[in-house]
Amino acid sequence: MEKLKKGSRCTICKAKGEKGKAVVFLPHHRLALCKNHYIQWFEKRIEKTIKEFRMFSKRDRILVAVSGGKDSLALWNVLIKNGYEADGFYIDLGIDQYSKDSKELSVQFSKKIGRSLHIISLKDEIAPIPVINKSTKKPACSACGAVKRYYMNSYAKKLGYRIIATGHNLDDEVALLFGNTLHWDVKYLRKQYPVLKEEGGFIRKVKPLCKITEKESAMYAFFNGIEYIEYECPFSEGASSIEYKEILSKIEEKHPGTKLQFYTNFLKNMHPIIKEYYEKEETQIKECRICGEPSFNEICAVCRLKNSVERETVQN
Amino acid sequence: MEIKVKYRGKEKTLFFEKDKVKASDILKALGLSSEHAFVAKNGEIASEDDLITQEDSVKVVNAISGG
Repeated sequence: MEKLKKGSRCTICKAKGEKGKAVVFLPHHRLALCKNHYIQWFEKRIEKTIKEFRMFSKRDRILVAVSGGKDSLALWNVLIKNGYEADGFYIDLGIDQYSKDSKELSVQFSKKIGRSLHIISLKDEIAPIPVINKSTKKPACSACGAVKRYYMNSYAKKLGYRIIATGHNLDDEVALLFGNTLHWDVKYLRKQYPVLKEEGGFIRKVKPLCKITEKESAMYAFFNGIEYIEYECPFSEGASSIEYKEILSKIEEKHPGTKLQFYTNFLKNMHPIIKEYYEKEETQIKECRICGEPSFNEICAVCRLKNSVERETVQN
Repeated sequence: MEIKVKYRGKEKTLFFEKDKVKASDILKALGLSSEHAFVAKNGEIASEDDLITQEDSVKVVNAISGG
């Protein structure tokens, strides 16, 4: 990979006749930037993505799904700086120290930027993730994803927000695309888009960081002094998404720009074809027979999880 | 040479057989790629060939996360 050479000057400063020292090099954009121009570049790139996919406007109330990690906090910071109405939503998953630390960091950050952070606890809704994990055969990350999607959607509606913004970055999206392509999971590929429109009880979901790499996001958090949870969730150990990310980063090292191209060309060339084909076979969104929330099955994933946890509790 | 680094919220001591240690050597010692990780030296992002000494305050950030 091309590296930042010692003593390099910032590309933008140089164009302006200034002498700013470059501290970041972005090989796939061929840009060497100083701290201030990097922050500006990052915030503009997100703004451009929001506009490109018509995610939302300054009139919308946005709920940011906050985990305490670098991506969600960086996203929240940018949205506020760019003048959007954005509050946070944190789900306490009950994963021991990991949840305690990430919650504290999220609360601290919300105070720093002076915005509301809505907090719910999975213990009060169903049971903490370690308990759910024992009562189902599903991998922890899959159950965790299902409960996050469910409560984010139902609480956003209750609290009067029109949009849910998540911190999924380019590496998350590329790893997901890679996995779905390896399995030729066409139904998941169809849903892989930076905007999921509101329909049948689901509210609009957007991913404004979809063109930002994980490292770019970490550098933005670092430059802005954003404190975030730096260690991994104990349940994500050995997750296939991490393996895919490592493989893809080896390709990226040799061929800068591959990840961005793989993703953006999928959105441009492949997604419209899959979408058009599957539109003929539109799956009906139903209402869950138990809770009334939108679901693709008679009983939604979260009510099924609740049933498993209750059965397990009765048996023991 | 022995260098103390902060990594994922914990302090770690790394041992090197040479006297001149670069930021890239630190990433290598932790098994990280510059594609998804970086070294901060005294509060600033270090370029890969920046020399790191025992007196520097060093933090390593690995951006990869899963789930």
